[in-house]
Amino acid sequence: MIRKIKVQGYRIHKNLSVEPNRKFNLIVGANESGKSTLMEAVALALTGRINGRSVSEELNPHWFNTAVVEEFIKKRVSGVPVSFPEILIELYFEDVPELQILCGAVNTHVPTTACPGVSMRISANPDYAAELEEWAKAPTSLLPVEYYRCEWRSFADKELTTRPKVLATAVINSHTVRTSSGIDYHMRQILGDQLEPAERAQISLEYRRVKASLSNTALNAVNTRMSSVHATLHNRPIALAMDQSARTSWEGVVTPHVDDVPFSMSGQGQQSAIKISLAMNRHAGRAKFVMVEEPENHLTHTSLVTLLSRIESLAGEQQQLFITTHSSFVLNRLGLDALLLMGHDVTAKLSTLDPETVNYFKKLPGYDTLRIVLANKIVLVEGPSDEIVFERIFHDRYGKRPMACGIDVLSMRGLSLARGLELCAALGKPITALRDNDGIDPDELRGPVDKWLKKGVRELFIGEVTHGETLEPQLIHHTGEVLLRDILGIADHADLLKWMTREKTEAALRISASEKKIVPPACMLEAVKFAHG
Amino acid sequence: MANHLTLAVAGSRKTQSIVEHCASVSRERRVLVLTYTQANQEELISRLKQYAGDHHHVEVMGWFTFLLRHFARPFLPFKFAGKRVLGFNFDGRPHRMSTGIGRFLDSNGAAYGCELGRLAHELVARSKGALLKRLECIYDEILIDEVQDLSAHDWEIIDVLLDSSVDIRMVGDIRQSVLATNPRSSKNAKYSYAGSVKWARERQAKGRLEIVESVTTSRCHPVVAKFSDSIFDPSWKFPETQSENRTVTDHDGVFLVSTKHVTEYVRHFQPQCLRHSVNSGKAFDLDYFNFKVSKGMTYERVLIVPTAPIAKFIASGAYLEANSASSFYVAVTRAEQSVGIVLDKAGSSSLPFWNPTAAKQEV
Repeated sequence: MIRKIKVQGYRIHKNLSVEPNRKFNLIVGANESGKSTLMEAVALALTGRINGRSVSEELNPHWFNTAVVEEFIKKRVSGVPVSFPEILIELYFEDVPELQILCGAVNTHVPTTACPGVSMRISANPDYAAELEEWAKAPTSLLPVEYYRCEWRSFADKELTTRPKVLATAVINSHTVRTSSGIDYHMRQILGDQLEPAERAQISLEYRRVKASLSNTALNAVNTRMSSVHATLHNRPIALAMDQSARTSWEGVVTPHVDDVPFSMSGQGQQSAIKISLAMNRHAGRAKFVMVEEPENHLTHTSLVTLLSRIESLAGEQQQLFITTHSSFVLNRLGLDALLLMGHDVTAKLSTLDPETVNYFKKLPGYDTLRIVLANKIVLVEGPSDEIVFERIFHDRYGKRPMACGIDVLSMRGLSLARGLELCAALGKPITALRDNDGIDPDELRGPVDKWLKKGVRELFIGEVTHGETLEPQLIHHTGEVLLRDILGIADHADLLKWMTREKTEAALRISASEKKIVPPACMLEAVKFAHG
Repeated sequence: MANHLTLAVAGSRKTQSIVEHCASVSRERRVLVLTYTQANQEELISRLKQYAGDHHHVEVMGWFTFLLRHFARPFLPFKFAGKRVLGFNFDGRPHRMSTGIGRFLDSNGAAYGCELGRLAHELVARSKGALLKRLECIYDEILIDEVQDLSAHDWEIIDVLLDSSVDIRMVGDIRQSVLATNPRSSKNAKYSYAGSVKWARERQAKGRLEIVESVTTSRCHPVVAKFSDSIFDPSWKFPETQSENRTVTDHDGVFLVSTKHVTEYVRHFQPQCLRHSVNSGKAFDLDYFNFKVSKGMTYERVLIVPTAPIAKFIASGAYLEANSASSFYVAVTRAEQSVGIVLDKAGSSSLPFWNPTAAKQEV
């Protein structure tokens, strides 16, 4: 199990330190926040490879953090002889017996600590000191990576050449690389881990035998005829035989089939489902680390539900999952407590969340939790009509829509306000919450959620009981019946409150579209001011 | 009791006993075989391939490699934060006055061989248990051949290993300890060279180690074996060597050879000629091996050019100091059938002189 991930100078991550969860890690974040980069970095240090190719083969100048490179160039140009930018990825594992071969103190942790771990360091190669310094005389943002070296080591300071068996890793990503044999590198790795040594030996043996038998049957007649052809230099006979070299081993031709359809020909959704099942299936060689990129891609809702429950049931104690997602459904379903929110050089975790709340969201998988998680500032209102009216009041006051100020107005749609507040508190997020008083004293309503409120950051706004129980009577109270009837276009003979209560959304839409401004209810105006800040 | 020390006599097939042990243990056990000399490593590897080739978890390693790979490299930062071991410097010595990291690593970051034992031993404690725990998880058994070759800090490391969960099996002939991993180290002189026998007996007394004495030589003729025993002061309490060599030739035993007969003796018996070092035995133009180099070898006959103390020991019975006794013991025990010692003044020695006339008459 990975206890800590350190990423320095790699792509968007200048200096990132993450302490992932033991089992599930749902990595969410805005676009360009570095979710996939984090996954890539972890896979890089675990396997020493990237997309099936060696790191030194794939290394390119864009791997380096642009800010770090700019800083380097600026310093060098101004005559300060700072050292060349480096990339360092360190994975600190749990201190368990089977990983002890990787144990040591050769890591960047302060104070010196020994634990199992691996590091990938990409740094300027001193063998090319002269070339590097020559380049640095006129540096560009594209570092001369041909003079760089990649060192993949354990914390015991032992160079690693192939992935240690204890670090079995399965990478499941959506960009399927179609190789000539139809299976990408990651799939081959997963399949390879799947087979027991005896099974592998058996397949290999049979495959050789089949190949050999072809040489003795179909090719035999051809060889008899060809033996009379003296084409070689020394007049030795030519014969055709099956290639038995490693290049043509069974691994290249044995591929999984689904209903007799080759794996590579099945749909992408099916492909990732198969990969996930194979990687997580309970067997000796199953992956200790499973990395899934956006499982929601290429899947219908029903297939996603099936896949997620499979992931949930297969996940063992000894397996650590990293999943990036843009789907609230995936997040709610696999558990909000597994969330790793990518921020700038930090990740927030939700380990403080009440298990009850985690279960609550699991039962409400359709709720747009990610909007709460990803918003900078959130306004939580009771229903769509409150949402529409809030937006209008905000616009009337500031001349902009809330979204333009980075404020996301979200209707609870039946979500318990307490759960929403708890989630925001766990994330340390500012929130403006609005609710109806339903005839109860606001102070009484505030009591149970008070622990998640924080003055100036997370506040709850509730209208006075005397001004009405819900939004509609409050609107009538503040705006006055005459103006409101005009805005809504309601005839005098109709009962205003009855109509508004029946046609909540329609009323809100008319208020929103009207050229005349309403007089906002006091609590809503306060909420608007608080949200704007 | 999981820790064993076999004190064996020369020619008792010590290395073979290690190979056989590897062949006999469960194929699941992860076994590390350690030895000091490169020649012995190669010997072990080739014999293991032959007798225990189906055991895939047996690893042969030199002592220094062991200290580098499992002590110095992984745990150096505990002594010198942020530093790494970048290589190994076998011959180099730190400056006498050097302190800090310069005492252990040269300017290229390579670890000095002579200080590696000390560094490794210090790191055991500094790692707060991580080092030993790591070893315990990697190996079930550590076998050490030629254990008498280790010295000073190496013995302290063994001492630590004895208390670990790893089973330690050591095989050695303390009478043969002519190598030391740090010739300059004065610390632990009590454990180095033949002093190590005392070390082992102390540990046995505390129940941490079981000493098995293997006293049967398959190589040396009974007379040679008996003579080899006589080299050591009885106060060392070495057990008497038993010989299983029943071969009889026309020249068996230990003989003195007068200077004037050396050429004829060599021509007649074609013995392997042995000397202490390049500086000794210059009086004769013979095809020598130095005592040290002859370690581990077997010859039917040897001819030894003695050093002054050895000559004195033979003539007067004055016991040699431990180091000289060991190297002389190695030389004598190379022989299967006969040992010739070049000496003119026999003193009180009861060894017979070789008589070329008698030999001719026999032929």
